[in-house]
Amino acid sequence: MTVATCLLLYALAVAVLAPRLLAPLTRSGAAPRLGVAVWLSASGSVLAAWLAAAGFLIWEVARAWRDPAITLTACVTTLESVVSGEAGGALQLGMLGLVGAAVLALTSVMWRWGRALVRARTRTHGHARMARVAGRHVPGVDAVVVDAPDRLAYCAAGRPHAVVVTTATLDALDRRHLAAVLAHERAHLSGRHHLLLAATRSLAAVLPRVELFTAAATEIARLLEMCADDVAARGHGRGTVLGALLTLSGAATVPAGVLGATSVGLLDRAERLLDPAGLAQRLQSRGILAATLTLLLSGPVVTAMLAAYDVTVCYPGA
Amino acid sequence: MRGFGELESAVMDCVWHAGGETTVREVLERLRQQRELAYTTVMTTMDTLHRKGWLAREKRGKAFGYWATLSREEYSARLMREALDDAENPDVVLTQFLKQMSDTDSERLRRVVHRWASEQDPP
Repeated sequence: MTVATCLLLYALAVAVLAPRLLAPLTRSGAAPRLGVAVWLSASGSVLAAWLAAAGFLIWEVARAWRDPAITLTACVTTLESVVSGEAGGALQLGMLGLVGAAVLALTSVMWRWGRALVRARTRTHGHARMARVAGRHVPGVDAVVVDAPDRLAYCAAGRPHAVVVTTATLDALDRRHLAAVLAHERAHLSGRHHLLLAATRSLAAVLPRVELFTAAATEIARLLEMCADDVAARGHGRGTVLGALLTLSGAATVPAGVLGATSVGLLDRAERLLDPAGLAQRLQSRGILAATLTLLLSGPVVTAMLAAYDVTVCYPGA
Repeated sequence: MRGFGELESAVMDCVWHAGGETTVREVLERLRQQRELAYTTVMTTMDTLHRKGWLAREKRGKAFGYWATLSREEYSARLMREALDDAENPDVVLTQFLKQMSDTDSERLRRVVHRWASEQDPP
């Protein structure tokens, strides 16, 4: 019981504090991949703590089932004073109900998450297939070209994957810029970014009120764009990627004052390509993120171990 | 040929090109201008496309007459709708180079554009 309580407290603390503490750490995008890892491990750490807590609860109940005496002496020391001899059975039943409800809720979350993932996979693969059939092959363009007035370039995972550009995009970009955009999209595919996006976005959709999960989905999407920008910039130059970004957003061609069509991460990405982080800033960012990562990964384990060996961590008065 | 999807795409190309109703034989003849294919291969592909809802068909004597259920333009429009709704729709996971969205940070953006433009100028 104590271990489970400590794990749940840990999960609550991470879920509440992480969105506020992590956002400033990963905002600049000085180390985007580590940033992604940190957000992932924060979310994963909360999920792991929930699962472990459920596991401990089930174990405790199973143990108590066999020997009711253990429950009262070992598990609910803090409640001992209010529990009379006869209340033992009722308490045990109440606890069983509580544990049952918690396990049921967690199972339901996992089930809905899994279904959302399967649905996302089906729909995205369907999109890729539709794009490949409805799109055209234009000589010299290693992507599916779709007739459309919107300047879009994106990739959809599938079998095989589809990198899609619209005719409007082809009209707007010159050869160099197009190559940079396609390199960016292929970086998403080869980095399997769609899997991370699908996992984080559907988790956020299943539990929209857990701020950590919604924040993680948004931040990871932004950081993955930066990762892909970096790959494209290595092959085609930062200026070219920035040029493509600005041209597609309309910022480079539309006169000042009517900048309407831009994007969420556009400014961060553009400024980052214009002024990349220096070595000192990158190292500092990496150091902080690596330390955070270690904390988050070891968090549930350490919490459980401390609780198992030393109850006073969670119940100082006990 | 690079896999099955490519043949599906080529067959749809032919059907759309034909305009109205067409047959396996006609599609085969058109495809044979570019590559060697067996009648049964094309027939199987068109049967699959029919099962997936891309093609409609009706019996005409011994063979089937096939036509596209939607035009290429209608499919393009559908694709774009999905792609543009990507932000609100967690079901279709697309990694877009850029998401279209209004923003008030135009001043910051103008500064970036200005500096980028000056760096692009030939020395």
